[in-house]
Amino acid sequence: MRAAGATFPRWAPALRRFLGGSLVYLGAIAVAAAVSAGFVVAMQGDVLVAFRTIVTSSLGSLSGIAQTLNKISPLLLGSVAVMLGMRGGFINIGVDGQIYLGAIAATGLAFALAGTGLPAAVMVPAVLLAGTLGGTAFGAVPGALRARWGVNEIFVTVMLNFVAYYLTEYLSTGPWNDPVSGEAITLPIPAEATLPMLMPQAGAHTGIVLAVVAAVLAALLLSRTVLGYEIRAVGANPRAARGGGIVIPWITLVTLSLSGALAGLAGAIEVSGYHNRLILGLTPGYGAIAILIAVLGGKRAGGVAVAAMLVSILMVGADSLQRSVRLPASAGFVFQAIVVLCVLLVEARSARRR
Amino acid sequence: MTGPGTGRARRDKVAMRAVAKRFGDVTALRGVDFTVAGGEIHGLLGENGAGKTTLMNVLSGLYRADHAEIAIDGRPVAIRSPADALAHRIGMVHQHVELIPSFTALENVLLGREGERGWLHLDRHRQEVEAVARRFGLAVPLDVPVRTLAVGVQQKIEILKALYRGVEILILDEPTTMLTPQEVDVLFATIRAMAAEGLTVVFITHKIREILTNCDRITVMRAGAVVGTLEQAAAGEPMLVEMMIGQRLAGVSVGPPPGAGAAAAPAVLEVRDLVVGADQAGRAVDRCTFALARGQLVGLAGVAGNGQRELAEALVGLVPAAGGSIAIAGRDVTRAPVRDRLAAGLVHVPEDRIEDGVLPGLSVAENLMLGLHSHAFKDSRLFDRRAAGQLARRAIAEYAIVAPHEDAPATSLSGGNIQKLLVARAMLLAEATGGAIVVAANPTRGLDVRATEFVRRRLLDFARGGGAVLLVSEDLDELLQVCDRILVMYRGRIVGDLPRPAFDAYRIGALMAGAGAEGPARA
Repeated sequence: MRAAGATFPRWAPALRRFLGGSLVYLGAIAVAAAVSAGFVVAMQGDVLVAFRTIVTSSLGSLSGIAQTLNKISPLLLGSVAVMLGMRGGFINIGVDGQIYLGAIAATGLAFALAGTGLPAAVMVPAVLLAGTLGGTAFGAVPGALRARWGVNEIFVTVMLNFVAYYLTEYLSTGPWNDPVSGEAITLPIPAEATLPMLMPQAGAHTGIVLAVVAAVLAALLLSRTVLGYEIRAVGANPRAARGGGIVIPWITLVTLSLSGALAGLAGAIEVSGYHNRLILGLTPGYGAIAILIAVLGGKRAGGVAVAAMLVSILMVGADSLQRSVRLPASAGFVFQAIVVLCVLLVEARSARRR
Repeated sequence: MTGPGTGRARRDKVAMRAVAKRFGDVTALRGVDFTVAGGEIHGLLGENGAGKTTLMNVLSGLYRADHAEIAIDGRPVAIRSPADALAHRIGMVHQHVELIPSFTALENVLLGREGERGWLHLDRHRQEVEAVARRFGLAVPLDVPVRTLAVGVQQKIEILKALYRGVEILILDEPTTMLTPQEVDVLFATIRAMAAEGLTVVFITHKIREILTNCDRITVMRAGAVVGTLEQAAAGEPMLVEMMIGQRLAGVSVGPPPGAGAAAAPAVLEVRDLVVGADQAGRAVDRCTFALARGQLVGLAGVAGNGQRELAEALVGLVPAAGGSIAIAGRDVTRAPVRDRLAAGLVHVPEDRIEDGVLPGLSVAENLMLGLHSHAFKDSRLFDRRAAGQLARRAIAEYAIVAPHEDAPATSLSGGNIQKLLVARAMLLAEATGGAIVVAANPTRGLDVRATEFVRRRLLDFARGGGAVLLVSEDLDELLQVCDRILVMYRGRIVGDLPRPAFDAYRIGALMAGAGAEGPARA
């Protein structure tokens, strides 16, 4: 054994990998920006105005920042949920459904506790916990089916998304409906069940804090606990993991349940912090975007956090594009899709070279 | 690539000259000459890794040789792809059936030849396929999905597929591996019928008996070279075994177990009537009974595919036992999960280090902790990176693993170092659990000489230190060199149990080839 550790500092390859990896992502974003600029020109818009609009509307004012922060919390939680599953080798397509179920559970408990006179310090955590448990239960279903019978979790989670959506529709138009609204919206939850504000004037709630804490805990779970190690081992090579005494059905159930828990918390935050009620369309496809963010972030918590922030800026900014350059708001989604395609292309290429 | 046909080649259907092939550092074929006469059944015999299949893969266009002169019917040809081979009417049926399970036999046979401007005319071709089947006596049901058919029938469909393509030179690679004895008989009847119809057959096998009774001529290969070609009448079993295995030097670098007490040591692993896989494909492991004592390094010899892998996996708990019992230090673990067996001190070096061993993407340290993690961090349930790092640094030094540092990804290591990592992992776990038994499956396969010696030395030290080792290996030389006792496995059964004084390469080789006096029941 040569003392290779002395000649090669251990951070050197890590740094190179990080820089190389970052370059990949920056390159992908640059390509996507160029292609998107082409779109803007094709629509006879001004490219510079378009990009400036995105940045100023999402970061240029306190209310813009608040909007962006509020956007980050469901995106970050959702993408950490997806990331956790991916690290264990599972594809959770059901984040949307789990968000809905978390929202339903949170709303239901908030209604049940209304008028009990409980203080917010009890009510808010209880509502958040209910949402988390709702998501957990919804994640446990595909987990159990895969653990016991090997049913592909992709199909189950996709199907459960429909279940959650129509359950939400039923509740928001039926028993919990707000009759004055005339829409698929429930009555508001009691004020004691709403999240405290982070920026009261601008309208940012404290969901972002919870989301960041949850992301940090998920990262610690993966890197510093035996359970996280077992999840990563199963994701890396289930056959070897089994040979190491890891009980794969158990890890399957736990991983998908935890993934659901994070998504469920996102749902509870949307109810308790943002909408203050259950509405149909609570998640405008956060689950799908979360998958993109998880891939974009390299399936690591830090990368996922940065990617979630960038996507949030883009989503908030894209809403303003319509006004400034008469671009449809969906232009933001086109841009995201191009970024992810570029990243996937570059990753696939470098994987083949290895 | 091709040379002029020699005078001799005129009556030869196939003449291959000076075929050489290297895979990286490994020389698979070193200038092989091989000829097959038209209409004969030619057996190609040799141990695993002798180069039989590589040679035939060159002939069938699957591999491109570094050098080869090939003549068909005396005319030099260049074979660069399976399509070239087919144009020269050469076809190969591989060891494992390669049919589409949900397709019918007819659809499988027609696959790749069905096209007429995009329309599928199954019925138009049916008569042609039926005619070929009749001519060569290959009666197979054409209209049921092949997955519902027995392996022997599936193999016939593979042969039919080759014949339908007009193949005149048919290569069969270990065709009997997956078959029951009855299916083997049927297969040979078919092959004889085909040869009577003028087909030339090359039959690759490591089973001496099959080749003796069914081939016109026999070519024996060893270590990438041809040892010789014999007429059937001139060949005998002892002669073939010797040609196949070669003169072995009893290069013993290991002394016998110390002291007389070793023989009287109590059994730490007891296996009784163990059965694995009781489906129609037969039993991979068939009523195996043996015991391992502390202080012993016991070898499990056998040609690949005779149940050794399944036996090892059943011991560790990766595949369920269909019958019999396994006990560790007197405690029954037949139904215990892997984790419990690890805790009881039965550790494993898996056969396939990439598929079953390494955790790609995880670091060297994290790889070393697999299995050990549930003991080392039992109380806190926290993965202590510092403790893991310390352990890993020790293992890297002790096992001479060439790695930049313990946080480097395991997949950045070379194959030999990954193997050392897996051996280190098993040994660390054995230490931590007060481990008694190491089951090592082909732990030195693909390693260089130094790494091989190192791994053998480690296993031996473990045994001498009071553990029991079951060393599963297809390398008989290795077993003869290091083992205190050798069990021989053939067709899922233990057909021999020889203590060191009774080691005899010829006898063990014969047992491995199924030529043992107490051979398995062929009923």
